[in-house]
Amino acid sequence: MVVLQPDPFLSELTSMFERSTEKGSVWVTMKRSSMKCQARLKKMAAKGEPVELRCLVRATDGKKNISTSLSAKEYLKFQASYATVLKAHMHALKKRERKDKKKAAEPEKVPEKAPKKQKKVSSSKKSAGSKS
Amino acid sequence: MVYFDSWDEFVSKSVELFRNHPNTTRYVVKYRHCDGKLVLKVTDNHECLKFKTDQAQDAKKMEKLNTIFFTLMTHGPDADISDVSGKEQAEQQQPKKGRGRRQ
Repeated sequence: MVVLQPDPFLSELTSMFERSTEKGSVWVTMKRSSMKCQARLKKMAAKGEPVELRCLVRATDGKKNISTSLSAKEYLKFQASYATVLKAHMHALKKRERKDKKKAAEPEKVPEKAPKKQKKVSSSKKSAGSKS
Repeated sequence: MVYFDSWDEFVSKSVELFRNHPNTTRYVVKYRHCDGKLVLKVTDNHECLKFKTDQAQDAKKMEKLNTIFFTLMTHGPDADISDVSGKEQAEQQQPKKGRGRRQ
């Protein structure tokens, strides 16, 4: 597994998403990891040295594996661009279909002046629908 | 393993799992474009929590969970995630107020 810098990782992740549009999936895994082996960690613990907290992010499309390691400082920057990449590529998900949901939901329970309730009703309907 | 129906339950359970086993817990996002499906998984190899969706609005919730996990993983399991969840609540409340006034 190749450990990349955050920026190349993101561009590689983008191309993974692009490659898997017609078929295939993309997996992104997050895990806490100090990127040090067990023996080294034990030594550090024995000496009482603080272990740096890092977040390991791995991605695969089933063919290629990439990864990057983020420190507490790096993650703020990474997270913003990561969210942008996800937003840009997860457009196959269904958008809210309000009109249809209104018809599907019991109309007497959904007064027109209460958009909050409508939301909740529609979301619960959706989850109920996806179950069956 | 059964898929969770409630998002909030999934989030609270997965944060709890991470806090109990911070070194072994991983958080996986699986996205399948051709089927338009998104599956989130949190596991420590003993317990497995999953959430499946095909709704675009859940992708926004997932972003918040990403933030929560990044914070937990880089600041330690005792890190305060109330900032993240607090923002979430504030964001939800504001548009509601706006809509209420208009009507």
